[in-house]
Amino acid sequence: MNASTGGVRRFRLSNPRYGLLLNIPGLLIVLLWVVFPALLLVVASFLQYDNVHPVSFTGFGNYQRLWNSRVFGISVERILVFSLGSTAMTSLGGLLLALCLSNVKKGGGLLRSLMIIPWAVPAVVSGLIWKWMFSPDFGVVSDLLMKARLIAKPLSIYSDPALAMWGVIIADSWTRVPFMGIILLAALLSIPEQIHEAARVDGADTLRRFFYVTLPMIQGPLLIGLMITTIFSFRTIDIIIPLTAGGPGRATYVLGYYIWDQITKSLNFGLGAAAGVVLFLITSLITLGFVYLLREK
Amino acid sequence: MRDRILESKALSYSVAIFVLSLMMMPIYWTVVTAFKPDTETYVFPPVYFPSNPTFEPLRLLFESYPFMDYVANSLIVTVSTTIIVTVISMMAAYGISLYPFRGGRVMLLTLLATRIIPPLSLLLPFYLVVSYLGLVDTLLSMIIANIYLTYPFAVLIMKAFFDNFPREVIESAIVDGCSRTGALFRIVLPVGAPGIASAGIITFLWTWNEFIYAFVFTSTSKAQPVTVGSYDAIGDIFVNWNQMCAGALVAALPGIIFVFVAQKYLIAGLTSGAVKA
Repeated sequence: MNASTGGVRRFRLSNPRYGLLLNIPGLLIVLLWVVFPALLLVVASFLQYDNVHPVSFTGFGNYQRLWNSRVFGISVERILVFSLGSTAMTSLGGLLLALCLSNVKKGGGLLRSLMIIPWAVPAVVSGLIWKWMFSPDFGVVSDLLMKARLIAKPLSIYSDPALAMWGVIIADSWTRVPFMGIILLAALLSIPEQIHEAARVDGADTLRRFFYVTLPMIQGPLLIGLMITTIFSFRTIDIIIPLTAGGPGRATYVLGYYIWDQITKSLNFGLGAAAGVVLFLITSLITLGFVYLLREK
Repeated sequence: MRDRILESKALSYSVAIFVLSLMMMPIYWTVVTAFKPDTETYVFPPVYFPSNPTFEPLRLLFESYPFMDYVANSLIVTVSTTIIVTVISMMAAYGISLYPFRGGRVMLLTLLATRIIPPLSLLLPFYLVVSYLGLVDTLLSMIIANIYLTYPFAVLIMKAFFDNFPREVIESAIVDGCSRTGALFRIVLPVGAPGIASAGIITFLWTWNEFIYAFVFTSTSKAQPVTVGSYDAIGDIFVNWNQMCAGALVAALPGIIFVFVAQKYLIAGLTSGAVKA
């Protein structure tokens, strides 16, 4: 946009038609792969569409059923607990690691690689691995906690509802800390050293500089990290499927698992679609909230 | 004094190493278990350092499950998706970033909005389409799904890279008689390679790691990828834990390799795609 580029050359480069042409395949993907399925989802949510009755229009019937369903209510409550727990643990872990790694030089590359590994492991495989770690019979978690004298006998996340929720939150945060850590580390490293220097000259001690300089400077990336972690915790069930399968009872039966059950077990597609729309609406509301907070930055 | 401790390198290293050791525990445990004989797997307290490491679980895994087929299926789906998505998203990002057109901004916002839609919500409509087209239990069904799952983020990553691209370089190349498409291949591609590599690697990993869509779309080893195959290993009443860990290791291998050989690109891609876009 600067004037030094020169009139003629600018004129030759900017060619909107070429830009549009390059985007035609992408536009097709968006229309066929996103817009069309999204419309189909909304339509299906207004249909009675199960494996018993013939398909018919039911208006808001599915939504009404969700509203009155005790199981759906539980799943909404469970997803809130899960999401809050997972996001809190992820943020604290990610921030702690980012602060440490921003302060080290030698070996930093290796430490960063180690930090990213859980992100690169397939989520469903993470769930399988944690299932093995939490095994009530041969589990290494139980053994380590017993060696540390924190518990007396092996614990089972498969019989204790509260422990089960902790189990899936720990496993889920394990996969999310890397992303949070990467974003916050990049943000921390981009703070100019002079700002810390100036605060130091003014006599601010370490903690004060953390709360009045560092935190405000990384507020934007932190909010983005929180937003992404929150909306991803709402949609991910890859870990819960192998780890607890929603149980024991309905202890880890999150909203996503409700949708999953409708599609793979109950085969009530109309109800599953309506729940899918609800999941989308909740996620959008959360996103809008974060966008509002970010706007002021 | 307190400040000197808080800011010391020693404290940073200690805390980082402590937290990372905890985080590496599941990885260590998977690797160790994958090479344990049954006698050291099914014992409590567990064996931390196996005295008789063996390839038996790995061998049994490939013998008792069609794991070779799973790996082949994953590879075909992942490589095809990565090529398609990288090429199309590169074109799109090149256009949006360097040849602004009416609607370009709307396109960008649409892509961002796309990322808000939970893939779990669109699983049902995608399944309906896939079964209508008769593509259930085919590799193509997963390629289709993964294009949707990876395309928006790939564009956002590359756009962030192209936005930093010095326009003057392209402008002078065009003045020197290079066509716009020529400029893409001769100048933008070589210079923008890190951005393209970042997007390509992340697309590869997301596709390789995908489970939900693959699980619903496939039912036999004709099409099932590694993620579904590993999950199936615990579907039985009795879990062969050491074989399961061997399978987990195979499934996690591409990710772990990329973390070590392409860490720079992963970090650049994840931060630019998330923060700058």
